[in-house]
Amino acid sequence: MTPRIVTATLAVRLRSFYRERSTVFFTLAFPVILVLVFGMIFTRPEQLKFDLPVQDNSGSLLSAALLSGLTQGDAFVITQVPTDVDAAAYARENKLTLLLVIPKQLGLPPGASAAGEGGGTPAAAGAELTYIFDPSSTSVNTKIQLLNVVIGRINQQLAGVPPVITLAPVSILPKRYRFIEFFVPGIIAMAIMTSSLSNALNMNAELRQKGIMRKLATTPVTRTDWLVSSILYQCILGALSTGMILVVAYAAFGVRLRLDAWLVVIVALEIVVFVGIGMLLTPLAKEAESASAVTNAVLFPMMFLSGTFFPVEMMPGFLQAFARVLPLYYVNEALRAAMIFADTTSVLRSIGITAAFAAVAFVAGTLQTRWGSEEKT
Amino acid sequence: MPLPRNWPGCSGVSATMSSSESAIVVERLCKRYGTLLAVDDVSFAVAKGELFAFLGPNGAGKTTTVEVIQTSRPATSGRVMVLGMDVARQKSEVVKRIGVLPQGFSSFDRLTVRETLQYYAKIFSSRIDINTLMDLTDLRGKAEVQFKTLSGGLKQRVGIAAALVNDPEVVFLDEPTTGLDPHARREVWEALKGLKSRGKTIFLTTHYMEEAEFLADTVAIIAKGRIIAVGSPTGLTERHADQLRLTLKMRQPRASGEGDRESMRSAPEIVRSMGFRSAAASDDAICVPVDSAEDVRRILAELHAAGVEMRDIDVRKPNLEEVFLKLTGDTAVGTVNRASAAGVAI
Repeated sequence: MTPRIVTATLAVRLRSFYRERSTVFFTLAFPVILVLVFGMIFTRPEQLKFDLPVQDNSGSLLSAALLSGLTQGDAFVITQVPTDVDAAAYARENKLTLLLVIPKQLGLPPGASAAGEGGGTPAAAGAELTYIFDPSSTSVNTKIQLLNVVIGRINQQLAGVPPVITLAPVSILPKRYRFIEFFVPGIIAMAIMTSSLSNALNMNAELRQKGIMRKLATTPVTRTDWLVSSILYQCILGALSTGMILVVAYAAFGVRLRLDAWLVVIVALEIVVFVGIGMLLTPLAKEAESASAVTNAVLFPMMFLSGTFFPVEMMPGFLQAFARVLPLYYVNEALRAAMIFADTTSVLRSIGITAAFAAVAFVAGTLQTRWGSEEKT
Repeated sequence: MPLPRNWPGCSGVSATMSSSESAIVVERLCKRYGTLLAVDDVSFAVAKGELFAFLGPNGAGKTTTVEVIQTSRPATSGRVMVLGMDVARQKSEVVKRIGVLPQGFSSFDRLTVRETLQYYAKIFSSRIDINTLMDLTDLRGKAEVQFKTLSGGLKQRVGIAAALVNDPEVVFLDEPTTGLDPHARREVWEALKGLKSRGKTIFLTTHYMEEAEFLADTVAIIAKGRIIAVGSPTGLTERHADQLRLTLKMRQPRASGEGDRESMRSAPEIVRSMGFRSAAASDDAICVPVDSAEDVRRILAELHAAGVEMRDIDVRKPNLEEVFLKLTGDTAVGTVNRASAAGVAI
């Protein structure tokens, strides 16, 4: 390896990079846009608030107490539904996913209620609230659960009995963590993967197609010089890309992520993994056109199945098992362990597996990379 | 990482060619791809300072041979010496002293001409003045233009300039004018002549006969992986195509003129009656191989006496193209191959 050649080649690649606007966009701007868009979609205000339409047929003191209980702690935002309509039909027409109906009997003396099966307190009159819900809605179950919890709390308050068992929250995370904190490490991993893989694959295919490799093979440039300059180039792009993602995530969403040497180590290993995979796949991509098809065939499954956008635990078991053979999964795990959980044991375990992937991919990729005219063209 | 080499060496072959006078010596070179023997026992030498043209039809093994010589492809067997160095063992030394324009040269799209040449100069750690180099290849006016926007001829000239950044002793040019218009081709030729006048040894691969004829001191013709002829362009044409070719075009006969039609019919007969072979080149033209200018004069006098009116007369000296076609034609290749296998070389 000759440092002079490596730096000259690196300078050529960087110069070519910043003169190619579409590459600059997809490498640097695209991940930032993803962070902004997904961040805005998924980062809600601190506490979730649900709309709850209520048809209050009782209008009693008890129902007023109930409604104020429902809004307590910002659990629900109550909207009133007219009492002269059929609740089910109203919910259908207005596409309401959940509608709470307070019956007329609520708050009436126990004698007025038909049942009267005993029970000492007035609130234990057995008044039945009805909720009308749309089972096809994905979010309705959460609302119903929350409603049950709130009603339970109100019941217990009305009964005047202090709770026998209470729950105190203890988070496993050092700090509060939101979707954006989960998302940013995933986007960093995705951005590094995309640029490393597609650069290794497309650039080699393009250079080969254009005969530049043929020229370089007749100069003092060796394969090692070329590979080292490729890795350094990716490291610079990786640092730029990671830096921009973090700056935007801090500025726009005030993310709280740990930034330490682990981040650098993980990103560097990831670059080696995907440059290696890119070199391994180069024979499948003789032309620049087929190179982008091969790139996408690798990128998309990795991106969606390795926990970039959502936790792997949300996927069915067999897909989770599949994710565990993908290198990006371990990069994601390592980055999140380092940046969110500050869990050194977990970081080391994931880094170890990533490093194994890196070694295998890079050695195999190097061994089968042809330089110049080694094979019949 | 070292490149894989398969270098068994040729048993029983002694180095017969002197390498002190030769820039390049190729001895019994073979290159096999699977079952295909692309280069089959090729030997030749290129003298220092000469322009050596390597001719052959597509797929004849030209580029493979050149790539072995310029170190970018390992040989299956045989030995190649460049400037006295074995290309298989001293690749890094050889590379520093040769310059290569590969077939279909291309470079980094987004670099300017100056940046491209600076890059190649840097990797050779050459202190060459880029401006002088651009003047030599007439690229000064395009110094700040990005490679991707250059025309084909200019791109080739950048390739030639890039092949010269290390002031090489031997320059390899693989089809430098393929795909260029006649004007751009002439420009490249001028650049090559300039190089030769500066004492460079030039190894030119081409399938343009006029290029070889115009530029080369020595021509080697390769077909189906074997060298079938080596010599100077004049020597080759004298040896392999020793006849002049006379082409006569007759005037179209007038519809009413009986005599004209008769004379038309008789023109090939007249030529044949004089003892020449004639072939119809088209409806109104015949082609006659002749030995001398005297033959031409006699045929013309005879036809004139017979009242044949000529529209056009063309006497052509045999050229390399005819030699090439004759030697690389399917029938010719077999016989010449046998001849060269038996050690008959020019």
